[in-house]
Amino acid sequence: MTKESKKRVALIVPAYNEARVIADVVRDLDVVFSKSRYDYAIIIVDDGSRDATASEAKTAGAVVIKHILNSGAGSATATGLSYAQQQGFDIATTSDGDGQHYAEDVLKGVNILVKKEADLLIGSRLINSKGMSRVKIIGNKGLSFITSVLFGIQVTDSQSGLRIFSRKALESLRWKTSGYEFCSEMLWRANQIGLKIDEYPIKVIYSEYSKAKGQNNWNGINIVKSLIKRRVAEMFE
Amino acid sequence: MRYILLVLLNLPVILLAITNLVTRYKLGRMSKQRFRIQISLWLIVLTVMIGSFPVFNVLSGRPTFDSGELSMFDIVQTTAIILLFYVANNQRQKIEWSERTLRDLHQELSIKLSEVNIEKTSKH
Repeated sequence: MTKESKKRVALIVPAYNEARVIADVVRDLDVVFSKSRYDYAIIIVDDGSRDATASEAKTAGAVVIKHILNSGAGSATATGLSYAQQQGFDIATTSDGDGQHYAEDVLKGVNILVKKEADLLIGSRLINSKGMSRVKIIGNKGLSFITSVLFGIQVTDSQSGLRIFSRKALESLRWKTSGYEFCSEMLWRANQIGLKIDEYPIKVIYSEYSKAKGQNNWNGINIVKSLIKRRVAEMFE
Repeated sequence: MRYILLVLLNLPVILLAITNLVTRYKLGRMSKQRFRIQISLWLIVLTVMIGSFPVFNVLSGRPTFDSGELSMFDIVQTTAIILLFYVANNQRQKIEWSERTLRDLHQELSIKLSEVNIEKTSKH
């Protein structure tokens, strides 16, 4: 076994009211990573769900961190990454709790991060956007463009939930927003502290469930508002 | 006379704000960038408060510190704006600090409680 194969990976899944699918998400990750060369732990951050997300995830074999209050995807992701840092993991991944990401893509990302020695790797749905609705393509491209204008970060999919973090990123990356706008803010902060950001193509499963749970373009407007507010507030900080 | 009243009412508030900023910066509770921007803002307020009326007088060909055009309403309005700016700025900082503290507390508490639950489960 090489030194690389001993790397400990935290597979973080922030989830809110995902009782219907969370067990499948945990099992998929477990099946794929059990065949890999990594030591891993599946960590579900239940963001104050009102359904049985936590118990379903626990039964499926995940470590569950339960938020006392629902505080947003950004906050749940921060909790997961903080836990991974405290537990000494070398790499952490985040993927969505609605089952839209392939576990194979998560593993692929970890391998790429190790190979490329990147600090933050984004799984981009838009490098190959086959199967994605036109509305979602426009919405995501729009948000990536706004991220680029506001923060000077050039990525194809600024809102992707599939991200891979190096130990360096775990230790140094912090953000202030707690909603979905954290996706763009995280990139901005990573750029500010000089982390190496990269992207790789991923495929997405668009089931009826994930379509119903996913963000719509109206929520995109809220994200843009919050990002502008954050950008302006930063000028006074 | 009214101009002096305007300055006397507002100068202490502005000086208090600047003193607070310097103290916070020197105690390491504020970043250099934030300090620079905040101090610039208050210096602009100070300059506008002290300088705008004499400049107006000079441009209209009156004696520099003649208070003739300055009404009591102007004084009350300017003082209210500066006071509100001071209060709003202070409250914003307090809210931001509380928000950050609450978020960190929530995060740490969730992790600690989960660790306790994990330990309990593994003992069984």
